[in-house]
Amino acid sequence: MAARISSWPRGLPSGRVNVQIITHVILLGLGFVYLYPFLWVLASSFKAPGEFFRSGPSLIPQALRIDNYAYAWRYGHFDRYFFNTVVVTVAATGLVVLIASMAGYVLSKTSFPGRRLVLGGMVLLMFLPGGYTIIPLFELVQSLGLLNSLAGIVVVQVAGALIFNTLLFMGYFATIGKEIEEAATVDGANLPTTYWQIMLPLAKPMVATVGLFQFMANWNSFWIPLVFTLGNPDLRTLAVGMYAFVGENSTGWTYVCAGAVMSILPIMAVFFFLQRYFIEAVAGAIKA
Amino acid sequence: MAQLSTAFDITRTILPTLPFRLGRAIRQYGWSYAFVLPMLALVGLFVVYPLIASIHITLYDWNGIGKPTRFVGLRHFATVARDPLFWNAFKNTFLYAAVLVPIQLTLALALALVMNQPRLLGSTFYRAIYFSPVVTSAALVGVVFSLLIGSVGQDVNTMLTEQGLLSRPIDLLGDPRFALPVVIAVGIWHTLGYNLVYFLAALQSIPRDLYEAAEVDGAGALGRFIHVTIPMLREVGLIILFLAILGSLQVFDLVLVMTGGGPYYASEVVSTYIYHFAFTPASIQAESNIGYASAAAFFMGVLVIGLTAGQLLAVRLIRQRNSGR
Repeated sequence: MAARISSWPRGLPSGRVNVQIITHVILLGLGFVYLYPFLWVLASSFKAPGEFFRSGPSLIPQALRIDNYAYAWRYGHFDRYFFNTVVVTVAATGLVVLIASMAGYVLSKTSFPGRRLVLGGMVLLMFLPGGYTIIPLFELVQSLGLLNSLAGIVVVQVAGALIFNTLLFMGYFATIGKEIEEAATVDGANLPTTYWQIMLPLAKPMVATVGLFQFMANWNSFWIPLVFTLGNPDLRTLAVGMYAFVGENSTGWTYVCAGAVMSILPIMAVFFFLQRYFIEAVAGAIKA
Repeated sequence: MAQLSTAFDITRTILPTLPFRLGRAIRQYGWSYAFVLPMLALVGLFVVYPLIASIHITLYDWNGIGKPTRFVGLRHFATVARDPLFWNAFKNTFLYAAVLVPIQLTLALALALVMNQPRLLGSTFYRAIYFSPVVTSAALVGVVFSLLIGSVGQDVNTMLTEQGLLSRPIDLLGDPRFALPVVIAVGIWHTLGYNLVYFLAALQSIPRDLYEAAEVDGAGALGRFIHVTIPMLREVGLIILFLAILGSLQVFDLVLVMTGGGPYYASEVVSTYIYHFAFTPASIQAESNIGYASAAAFFMGVLVIGLTAGQLLAVRLIRQRNSGR
């Protein structure tokens, strides 16, 4: 039986319990401070405009004013922003999972001529910083006629995420044994059938990881939708819409708070239901 | 001589059959090509092409309307190198990283050490709390903090002024002395969770018996930290450092939303500088010059690549030294 090891110095017999209590007090206190901005914006979204200025730091609104939400939803165009964000997020996330898993599958399981060239190019591109080519990207999207459309935002975001996620899928498929696939080939299944009916279902954990992270990245993305909707406010996503809303509503702060809550709540809900997967995926990334 | 004959073989035997071989490869691996094609097409069009095109654009004087025709060669690069506003943005970008990274990593490591205590109840709960800002967008975080500073910050100001602790209220985001530090502080808060989870994972992968052995050898808590934890964290710590630096050098959303780079360029970073020149020139009293903005972007891109290469080299060197022992 190994001795119990603690990273804390031994004290009096009750020392360990005290250390635990102190740790909890510190972690809870810090945690409250840490979450205060979120709690504050939630409380403020229910306050009346006058109350907002009178009871600044208070976390308890006098009455729940739901009409802040109605105002932001209708007059702040959050109905549109919300719809746009959902469309962009669902389309981009789905496409990344599909395209990256297809490419990752054949890159790991077949050795077509040119494979090494593709891999070399991908590794090289992975280390190039993103964001600095926005200007030619903008011109390209414009000349393709995709400027001022949600499709333009989607393809640019998908393309930007493909290299990293293809490599992730490739790594995952490489861990799946050959036997299953060979059995399918013997049964006469062609490559698309094997991919769709056997390999993709086997890669479910990676589909979940990539899907989760892409969902988060696409829901939160700002730079691309900002630049690509400069000419058409109707296509703004929530993040861009918030930015614009603040500029246009220098006085209607409670509405802005309601808008912020509507933008944060969906992604927070996803996080709290799936937080174990989120955190394990992040932790796994650093180990790999 | 051998090389020459190989070259000869290639021209004689392989070249004539190339169309045939290509045809056979496509027939044999047709589905493979069909499966990588969507990825290759999108990456080629929206990642590789803009990379190449950005070099082209830097050589022209161009306001973004029509086709670029006025060739100016490398003049934009010379102008960028002489523009004090670019170097101001450059300095702020590195200042942002240089202040944010050490503070954030120290705090994250300290929290990770506290939460890594064996038998700490609810550690997943705490982990979720500190991680939650990460899942929200930097743009939204910027909005929330701007509101918070405008409202609660005002109350604190009033209180401090009434107490005589302040002679004048401080406008945190409107004061050139405070704008960048405030954005840095929010940046630390926003992405600390990533590093906390990284460090926790790294700490949990340290074998228990190392600590036990150290304790048998008479090491105290501090001794175990110095002689076990730190050496075991070195390699993964370097990667965490590397990711934190790269991430913070590309800061954009927070700065644009919270200060717009102001006041008086006090918090302007390279990405907002480029954005202003290319897309909203009026906000910095400049004329739109896409060629110039591209040159600045290219310049910064090359710098970040150099830094990435340097850091990757450092990681590799340390790995080699560790495995060589």
